[in-house]
Amino acid sequence: MVRKMKNKKAQMKIQQMAFMLIAVTLFFVFAGLFFAMIVFSDIRKAAEGLEERNALLLVSKLANSPEFACGNAFGSFKTSCIDADKAMALKNNIELYKDLKGNFWGVDGIEIKKIYPTDYAEIECDSGNYPECGKITIFQKQGIGVSNFVALCRKEGSGGFIEDKCELARIMVYYGGDNN
Amino acid sequence: MGKIKKRQDKRGIQISFAWLFAIIVGIFILILAIYSVTRITDTGRDVVGAKGAAEIGVLLNPLETGFEEARSTLMSVPTDTRIHNRCDETGEFGRQTIRVSQKSFGKWAETNIDVGFLNKYIFSDADVEGRSFYLFSKQFEFPFKVSDVIFMTSSLEDYCFVSAPEEIADEITNLNQGNLYVSDEINECLSGSILICFDQGGCDINVRYSIGEVTKEGTTLFFVNDALMYGAIFSDSETYECQVKRLMKRADNLALLYDEKASSLKGEGCSLEMSFSSYRNALNNIQTSENLFTAFGEADKIGDENEGAGGSGCELW
Repeated sequence: MVRKMKNKKAQMKIQQMAFMLIAVTLFFVFAGLFFAMIVFSDIRKAAEGLEERNALLLVSKLANSPEFACGNAFGSFKTSCIDADKAMALKNNIELYKDLKGNFWGVDGIEIKKIYPTDYAEIECDSGNYPECGKITIFQKQGIGVSNFVALCRKEGSGGFIEDKCELARIMVYYGGDNN
Repeated sequence: MGKIKKRQDKRGIQISFAWLFAIIVGIFILILAIYSVTRITDTGRDVVGAKGAAEIGVLLNPLETGFEEARSTLMSVPTDTRIHNRCDETGEFGRQTIRVSQKSFGKWAETNIDVGFLNKYIFSDADVEGRSFYLFSKQFEFPFKVSDVIFMTSSLEDYCFVSAPEEIADEITNLNQGNLYVSDEINECLSGSILICFDQGGCDINVRYSIGEVTKEGTTLFFVNDALMYGAIFSDSETYECQVKRLMKRADNLALLYDEKASSLKGEGCSLEMSFSSYRNALNNIQTSENLFTAFGEADKIGDENEGAGGSGCELW
């Protein structure tokens, strides 16, 4: 009888111990998860911050990138000037500028919008309607956009002469989408 | 009497099931905790490395000059840092990757996370160490602007340019970069600095400027303009050859854009006859920097054709 009582007491102790150990393990697991959550939310914030900084720095320099820049094509060397003819050629060959990990500039969208004159401002440019259009979408936009003012220049033939025609535009760079 | 004592001794070393269970589970919890801490530390190290590499990439954006001149900037980090510069020539544009390792408790904490960029070209040794790094950028034109290329050096290494041509000496002086010096004689250079001699031998790096050759560590690299000459000086041969191929790939894609622009300008009345196909063929045939000279001839040709088109207002770049 005494032996049976002792056995029951021992079983109770083992059960108590097992519950205690499970509780301790669970505590550590939850504490670890909580810590990981804080760490990973910081990483996400840092990644978003970097994306934003990249877009802000890029938008101010993108017009000088050789795929967009006017260079010396319009009389003299121009900065913050986009060659619309070259931008259209880029738009037509944009697949070359994409790979599995994203696109050449590592952003979620690039768009050039004519501001002045306002004719055809909302019409997307394609090889059929160019230059009677106001928007050149290089990459489909996604996420938040940052912009910079630029000159949008092209060459136009009139009366047997070639004229340089420059208009006011805005280049938009988008980040924070899921393109990359 | 003796038998009873022996029996009592045997009971003394018996471990109850409760203790055994607690010890086993306790060891399991400890192992789990140690494993988790190690994993978290590794992840933290990877995160710091990846963040550092991504930040460097972002910081390189303002180095897109847009103007002709070269510019230099200093990048400082709080701890000893090793920047691994890797170049991959596969794909449409190849890829520039950066990996950052930092020293912690006297040991290099290596990470496995690379941050890649398609539009950056960094010429440096494969591994650059220090707390301050100089980033010097210059336009690479062939004959149109292909990209701004970046030359990265550690502030721990000084470079002495001996008997450099006047335009190179002026450019280095105007850069005002802390680790680049110009000198007329080898013995005027700081002791321990890397000697770069122009059109004379016996230095760490020997440049034959007039024929476009840089010899270092028994390897000869070839260049066709000043931007590539700096590239050959500041980078190891593997990085140099890879970055040259990547630049040629970008030049090829830009040539495609200019070719299309030329076609569209024909509709506006420009009669442009430019030999883009032979230029692009020459670019695609580049296997090593030695082949650059053939492509340079073709580049010169389309450069002249573009200049000629300038008279009628039809220049492409």
